[in-house]
Amino acid sequence: MGDSMLAQDYYDFHQGLAGKGIILSFTGYVSEGILFALGDALRQKMALDEADANITKKVFSIFVEQVQNIIRYSAEKVEGNLGKRVELSSGTITVGREGERFFVVCGNVIRREDATALRERLSALAAMSKDELKHHYKEKLKEPAEEQSRGGSIGLIEIARRASAPIQFDFQEIDDSAAFFCLKAYI
Amino acid sequence: MEKIVIEATDRTPYTAFDPHARHLLLRGESYPEDAAAFFGPLQQALREFLPQLGGDTFVVDLELSYFNSSSAKALMNMFMLLEQTAAAGRSIRIIWHFHPDDDTMAEFGEDFAEDFKHAGFALCPIQAE
Repeated sequence: MGDSMLAQDYYDFHQGLAGKGIILSFTGYVSEGILFALGDALRQKMALDEADANITKKVFSIFVEQVQNIIRYSAEKVEGNLGKRVELSSGTITVGREGERFFVVCGNVIRREDATALRERLSALAAMSKDELKHHYKEKLKEPAEEQSRGGSIGLIEIARRASAPIQFDFQEIDDSAAFFCLKAYI
Repeated sequence: MEKIVIEATDRTPYTAFDPHARHLLLRGESYPEDAAAFFGPLQQALREFLPQLGGDTFVVDLELSYFNSSSAKALMNMFMLLEQTAAAGRSIRIIWHFHPDDDTMAEFGEDFAEDFKHAGFALCPIQAE
C-alpha cells in the first residue's frame, strides 16, 4: 500500500543530512565490523573525490579512534555469546565537510559520574599545543596499561593530535545517572 | 625457537619473526579489534628470544602505513623491550620504512627515534617505483 509521506519524510531526512555536507552518518548499535565497513567506505569516497592523502589519513584515524571509543565506553551496551563473543555499543558517528574542512563527530551515553573526569581530560587536551600533545601522547604510550581500560585514553590524544583545530566537546544531562557526550574534531 | 608468520588481514599487518635469521618484519596497517591480543604472542616470543641474541644483530623492519592508538601502545612496548636489550649491550637495529609523502608516518618515525639511545633506529623513505 502506498504511503504518501514515506518518500517525502525520508527525502527530507536524507537532504537534511546531505545539506550539512555529511559524507556518512550512523546511529545505532556499533560493532567492530561496522567500524571496518564504514571506515572502508569513507576512505574509498575520499579517494574518489581525490581528497589529499594526508587529510584522508587524518580523517580516517580520528574516525577509528572515535568509533572505538563508542564501542568501549558507551554506557548503552549489549553483550553476549552468539557462538562467538558479541559486543554492541550504542552511539552516533558522523563524518562530513564544512567548506574546506572535514569534521568527525561522535556521541554516546556515558555514566553521569564519569562526565566530570572526562570533561577535565578533554579541556586539558583542547588547551595543549601540538608539541605538548606529542609529548603527552608518548608519556601515555610508555605507561603500563590501565587495568580497567582497553587503551582509550590514548585514543583521545590521537584525536586531538590529528585535528587541525582544538577539539570541541559537550555534555547533555539525561537523568540522574546518565549524560550524552559529544566530541567534534575538524581536519 | 619457532618462526612466527601471520598473513596480513584488512586490519592487521603481515608479521614475520624469524629467530634464526635474527629478523622481524611488520608490514601493512594495524587497527585490530584487540591490539593487546594481536601483539601479545609476538611480544612474548621477543621476551624469550632477545636474551639469547648473543653477539648477533637483531634487525626489525617496520613498514606500517597506518596504526591506531592501541597498536601504537603495543609498538611502544616492543620498542622499550628492544631499547632495554640494546642498553644491556646487544646489537639492535630498527628500520622505519615510510612513504616520503606520508606526513603522519614520517612524524611517528621521528617521534619514536627520540627514544632510542642504544638501539639503532633509522628512518628509511620508501623509493617511488
